[in-house]
Amino acid sequence: MVECNGIRTHFQLMRARHGIGAAPVVVCVHGLGYDSLASFYLTLSAPLSAAGVDVLAYDLRGHGRSERPRVGYQVTDFVDDLAALLDTLGIDQPVHLVGNSFGGTIAFSFAARDAARVASVVSIESEPATRAWADRMHRTLGNVVEEMSAEENLAWLAETFGSHHARLAKAAALIIQATSIVTDVPRGPLLTSDDLRALAVPVLSIVGSEGFQRDDPLALQAALPNCTTEVIEGQNHSVLVERHHTVRDLVLDWVHQHESASQPAGRLAADVA
Amino acid sequence: MTTTHPLTEASVLADITTMLARVLDEYGGLDVEVTADTTFHEDLGLESIDLVEIGALLAERYGERVNLAEFLAEKELDDVIGLRIGTLVDFVLAAAGTGA
Repeated sequence: MVECNGIRTHFQLMRARHGIGAAPVVVCVHGLGYDSLASFYLTLSAPLSAAGVDVLAYDLRGHGRSERPRVGYQVTDFVDDLAALLDTLGIDQPVHLVGNSFGGTIAFSFAARDAARVASVVSIESEPATRAWADRMHRTLGNVVEEMSAEENLAWLAETFGSHHARLAKAAALIIQATSIVTDVPRGPLLTSDDLRALAVPVLSIVGSEGFQRDDPLALQAALPNCTTEVIEGQNHSVLVERHHTVRDLVLDWVHQHESASQPAGRLAADVA
Repeated sequence: MTTTHPLTEASVLADITTMLARVLDEYGGLDVEVTADTTFHEDLGLESIDLVEIGALLAERYGERVNLAEFLAEKELDDVIGLRIGTLVDFVLAAAGTGA
């Protein structure tokens, strides 16, 4: 636990277990509501660490074990937190940001603000904070407020999907009730199409064919100058937890490819095997 | 701190029960009897983020060889949700007993 940007922040740094020289750094940024660094702890952190990557995961403000202030949930607050965390931990080499859902939105805004600190972005079912994104978030969060806080809906969730899902929904409802997150998040600040065209960092967009970008899985690739897309067939929004073996392989290949190209000193386990 | 005493199923279960009590302290304490069949989510009401803390406590107690994140990363979501304490005990015995 460290204090960053005025917030007690819960993080976990899993050091590279193998490899020679400076290890690449992957920073995992989780999603909104009921998500936490556990999504990465249970999926990517250990395999990436075993493959020679330093893996930093942390709980966003208001989530997991990090402090939950009542206000301060605009995208810029999350970007400030990430910058402060990297500063506090002394991480000054460019990092690979792996963002799940809203975590990817934070990653895009962070890269737009300070591209020199970003080696690449892996966006899992995410999109940048554009006006269209803000409008959708506003509607979605409004629906969550209405539906997820009602006890009868939680009972229905428990009956239909199991108590685990009902508990997650209740956790999301608690954050919503205790903070200004619903009104703050859609406020951005937003990125324009010019901002996106200027985003030169390499981006890997991983989407489910039935996920949030199902209507146009390649929209992000069209909006960015240096974006590759991987569509996972038959998968909804829960790409990270439900298809984590596939995501792990994609992320490892991606990091390996971009480390080899840009940082000869940093070597993954695969290089020395 | 790592242990030098031989590990048994009973001693690991007792250790894990102590760790669960520590994690559950912030939720009002451990109020069920913990057995091999107790489930992490359904019976104890714990969430994924609590597994992160359990993982840290296991590594502190038995050493870095007991890497819970690595163990869980090979499992599917439903297996993690339905995780039994007995599965954790078996994992600790296997992991702590290798590579010495």
